[in-house]
Amino acid sequence: MTRKAAPVKADARDRLRRVLFLVPYAVRHPGVPVRELARKCGVPEKQILEDLDFLLGVGCPPFAPDDFLDLYVEGDRVHVALHQSFSRPPRFTESEAAALAAAARALGGEGTERVVRALREAVPRDRRAIFEELLACIFAGSPPAKDSLLGRIEQAIAARRALRIRYFTATRGEESERVVHPYTLAQRLGHWYLWGHDEGRGKALPFRLDRIRECAVDEKRFEPPTDAELARGRLFSEASGPPVRLRLGPLAAAWALARPGQWRVVKRDRKGGAEVEVPGVSDEWATRFALSFGGDAEVLGPPSARRHFGEAVRRALARYP
Amino acid sequence: MQKAERLLDLAALLLRASEPVSWREIQEQFPEDYGGSGEAAIRKFERDKAELLELGVPVRWVGGDEDLSAGYLVDKEDFYLPDLKLPPEDLALLYLAGSAALAQRAFPYARDLAHAMNKLSFAARAPGASEVAAVASLQLSADDADPGSRAESSARLEALSTAVAGKKRVHLVYAGAERQARTERDVEPYGLYQRGGAWFVAGFCMLRQDIRSFHLGRIVSLTVNPAAPRTPDFEPRKGFSLAELATRESWEFGVHAPVRCRVRLDGPASPEERDSFGPRATWKESDGRAVAEVMATNQEAFLRHVLSLGDRAEILAPRPLRERARKVLASLARRVS
Repeated sequence: MTRKAAPVKADARDRLRRVLFLVPYAVRHPGVPVRELARKCGVPEKQILEDLDFLLGVGCPPFAPDDFLDLYVEGDRVHVALHQSFSRPPRFTESEAAALAAAARALGGEGTERVVRALREAVPRDRRAIFEELLACIFAGSPPAKDSLLGRIEQAIAARRALRIRYFTATRGEESERVVHPYTLAQRLGHWYLWGHDEGRGKALPFRLDRIRECAVDEKRFEPPTDAELARGRLFSEASGPPVRLRLGPLAAAWALARPGQWRVVKRDRKGGAEVEVPGVSDEWATRFALSFGGDAEVLGPPSARRHFGEAVRRALARYP
Repeated sequence: MQKAERLLDLAALLLRASEPVSWREIQEQFPEDYGGSGEAAIRKFERDKAELLELGVPVRWVGGDEDLSAGYLVDKEDFYLPDLKLPPEDLALLYLAGSAALAQRAFPYARDLAHAMNKLSFAARAPGASEVAAVASLQLSADDADPGSRAESSARLEALSTAVAGKKRVHLVYAGAERQARTERDVEPYGLYQRGGAWFVAGFCMLRQDIRSFHLGRIVSLTVNPAAPRTPDFEPRKGFSLAELATRESWEFGVHAPVRCRVRLDGPASPEERDSFGPRATWKESDGRAVAEVMATNQEAFLRHVLSLGDRAEILAPRPLRERARKVLASLARRVS
């Protein structure tokens, strides 16, 4: 059986994959800007223009004038006359479908296996066995526990239902009740955020997941956000206090520094231990993190974080008289 | 003719044909490419056909009969991406799953995943807000810091994805956590899994002659066996389950004989807390407090997990582990005061 192997000429293959998407997309969206195609394909505009140039030379034997793709660029907009051969993109390849199915399984939810079946059906018939084999080779994480925070948020985004949350605002140090229309989840600076419209404040805002204290899915449904509404969220930023400083023993350092995250190593000692700084995390997070190394790590500062750590240690110790 | 052009022309020819196209006809249409006689031309065509197949263009040969001549064709039904026919909430989930995975930056087959997300807008009956949300999530995550190490880890993940799919052996230089020392070994990569935000490759380790997992962040360098890229180097062992390995809790790794451990939590346990003890923990309620019981084959790891819950949790049994928790906390308390 032919298997996917190391790409010999990645350029040719990448280009073909792109144009097999690009042509049907341009047919469906007449006058689509070059910029949009470039964004969709994740390549520079120059690359798209080269692809279009390449497409001009593509035809169908016997290469009579009618056998060529009817394509032109006007200003910065692309037009492709309805092309009978490439009106839709090809089916999912086994790795495309398997990657998507693995992502869906990690997310969980009631529809997961329905989704996996549908993806399988969308792979060419004689590649489906490879799809299944490949899917068994990727485990992108256990889905969030049923009724967990992440599980509920995902469910609400999918069903377009509002969320009632109790949220801790770090800058004011207080909790408040909010009704949020959840738009999407985003990862920034090492944290997961819910990006959504806050009814009370009348605008879209980021909510850091670890600061959501309570969360319930409401009956109320909401209208999907417009492109422009979402665009405003691109550059949200958040004030964060001074970074938390931790001392990690050799074992803890070896584990921690291999994990993704925003570490700044301040100092390393000869035995392999380290002092690190982590920006934008709560005192609570720092305490839990340090304790998870079973005595091989401690919180050094700032003073509030050190205090939080010390109190947690003393309270935990009090449970072992 | 350039290869990309030739492949696309070939696809267009076969897609447009209403009947199978004979080898002779293909040779006539592409005289420069397949014009030669004999084996070489056929081999070249077969390679192209295999590449088209990998791109999702299913070219197949049909033997002739009275009504149909023999030749190559692309089954249109089997070529065009069909409508997935999923209810809107399932589609929304799919968009969310794909975009969340891409937002992590490191995901196996990330490039394929990005292509799949693009194709989704054709496979979904109701494109729109969900798609927009997916794109937005990507852009929201785009400026994440630390691009250097991310690029490195996603390149490693991509190389390993290819090796897993092609069943190619890899050579690893690996920095172990416990021993600090670097080791070199050949590994037959069976699969990739994610745990606690980090990716691992699982497979048969030739050095240890057993199934092992390797943290991608500790792989110093990686070489995929370059010989015969289309021929598999190995077959995974029968009965290997990636999901089973990936969902093993840290205290379930075999360090010693199984020990029954009990933990008491303050008040009822939240779904997240319950989840953190894994699917094999058993739960009881007593006096409004939750008690979890697990079988541990690595008590030290279990201790670390319980400590990370702070004063919410307390080890009840076994006695020596309870004593060990007290010691660890007492030593920390001395350091902080």
